[in-house]
Amino acid sequence: MARRLAVYVTRAVLAAAFMAPVYWVFVIATGYHGAAYSLPPVWRPLFHFGPLTYVWTHTHWTRYLLNSVIISGATIILVVITSTLAGYALAEIRFPGNSLYFYAILGVMMLPQQALLVPQYVAMYHLHLLNSYAGLIIPFAANTSGIFLFRQFFKKLPTSYREIARLEGVSTLTYIRRVAVPMARPAVATTVLLTFIASWNQFQWPLIMTNSAQIQPIELALSHYMQAYEANWRELTSAALIALVPILGVFGLTQRHIVNAVAGGELGQKE
Amino acid sequence: MSNRLSRLVPATAETPVRSAKPSHPEKHWRLPTDWREMLIGYGLILPSFWVFLVFYYGPAFFLFYIAFFHWNIFASQSQFVGLHNFAILFHQPVFWLSLFNTAYYVVLVVPVTTLLALALALLLRESAGLRGGGVTRALVFLPHVTPVVATSIIWVWIFNPNFGLANALLRVLHLPALNWLASTHWALPSVMIYTVWHSVGLYTVLFLAGLATIPRHVLEAAQMDGARGWLAFRRILWPLMGPITFFVVILVSINTMQTFSQIYTLTGGPHGGAGGPAFATTTDSLLIYQTAFLYLHFSLASAMSVVLFGLILALTLVQKLIADRFVFYR
Repeated sequence: MARRLAVYVTRAVLAAAFMAPVYWVFVIATGYHGAAYSLPPVWRPLFHFGPLTYVWTHTHWTRYLLNSVIISGATIILVVITSTLAGYALAEIRFPGNSLYFYAILGVMMLPQQALLVPQYVAMYHLHLLNSYAGLIIPFAANTSGIFLFRQFFKKLPTSYREIARLEGVSTLTYIRRVAVPMARPAVATTVLLTFIASWNQFQWPLIMTNSAQIQPIELALSHYMQAYEANWRELTSAALIALVPILGVFGLTQRHIVNAVAGGELGQKE
Repeated sequence: MSNRLSRLVPATAETPVRSAKPSHPEKHWRLPTDWREMLIGYGLILPSFWVFLVFYYGPAFFLFYIAFFHWNIFASQSQFVGLHNFAILFHQPVFWLSLFNTAYYVVLVVPVTTLLALALALLLRESAGLRGGGVTRALVFLPHVTPVVATSIIWVWIFNPNFGLANALLRVLHLPALNWLASTHWALPSVMIYTVWHSVGLYTVLFLAGLATIPRHVLEAAQMDGARGWLAFRRILWPLMGPITFFVVILVSINTMQTFSQIYTLTGGPHGGAGGPAFATTTDSLLIYQTAFLYLHFSLASAMSVVLFGLILALTLVQKLIADRFVFYR
């Protein structure tokens, strides 16, 4: 009994410790003026949404939020399409180079992202993709873990399905769209969620790719805001809240699926 | 292929079914089945292949080209200079400082993260039958999904020497207050604290997945024989967890060696982009960023990248080799 209680208490303390920073974003953002400077620190939020409305109306956060939505939305759609097609090819279709491509993807996973930054930038420069949505989307339009995930699911499809489809004269694309993908719904959900998190949280790539406020995603805008408003804690935390709420919402609704997906196959995420 | 896409799924009167007539007119120009299959295969991998080629493999090869040339993105001509870029690099104290900082950062973050993740995983497994286990797991994992800049903002406040939470905590414990991000000694450890907070949940979940593969009856049998608590962990669980622990250690190492966002936001960006007071937090990835994108020395930055590339590739290969040896655990 005492042991059980100890486990409960330790667990509660740990959970609180991990949550504390996120909780304080809310406390400072909605606290009274100067709450950030209070000694001892303020513990309770006051639900003053003044600073949040001020930040929302006085800076282009709607624009940045929209940019983030466009970039993550397009990335998600493209990743699902490319992962489905390549995953299906690897799992079901015999062609010379099938296993070579499998190892090539494994190789992409092993390439260190930080070391590729300079040549990737040069490639974007020559493709005239600097300062464009395409430059923020296309490099992430194919995802190694996504392909492997779909491959795993498609391998479980009975081969007889494909035989029947072939005899009926159904094209491969129709078969993928109508039969294979609906049977791999968990893979679609996992890919969508993990791509959303990775894409929404992107910071370094937009930092080197864009210098235009028109297309910068919210994380990059926050970083610039941080430099401009160095000590205005209520405004800063309110802005941070705008970037945090979508991700917290999605995580809150799907945490079980996300955690299980990560446990099943590591999250191929770039920071 | 595209005109077949428009056809409906069930075979209609016009759709030739292969078994119907062997001498159908369409058969004349049709490719043999395995050829068709091959083309379909290539067509399906083309979109992702293109992305990997242009944005990953191409740059990976190009990196080695730039590193051995005197090269400028805005000038059209380049000149082969051999190891000259590396010679310049090795004569720069800041390069060695960045390697030292990276090593310091990795050497401290890796064991702390791994041990903490292991402890958390064991605690969560211990309390698996109790209520609220899933919620705790989710809350420990939560920091990992938060955007780095958004949460860095609150951590800058937490690390504020005058009214931050970190010093308030030290005051409660009757310890001297620290300057955290503004101090050359504590700037990098502050980033380490953030990194551990941000990423330990990911590795906890990986450990939990590893723990789940250990059959319960092994532990139960050990308990029957009187192995409990520390003894059970030391003699039964720990040897069985060797492979997953090794995997996590390598993964943490690869990820921490490439940390950029939190170093930039906590100490670099708002404070002049130099990586903390007096280069205290200038790690390899920060130095590559500054050299290339602030000072526009692309060749020099590429030479640094080649060094980092080699280090990380070596780590990854070791991990793959070991993972293949212990493949029966996955």
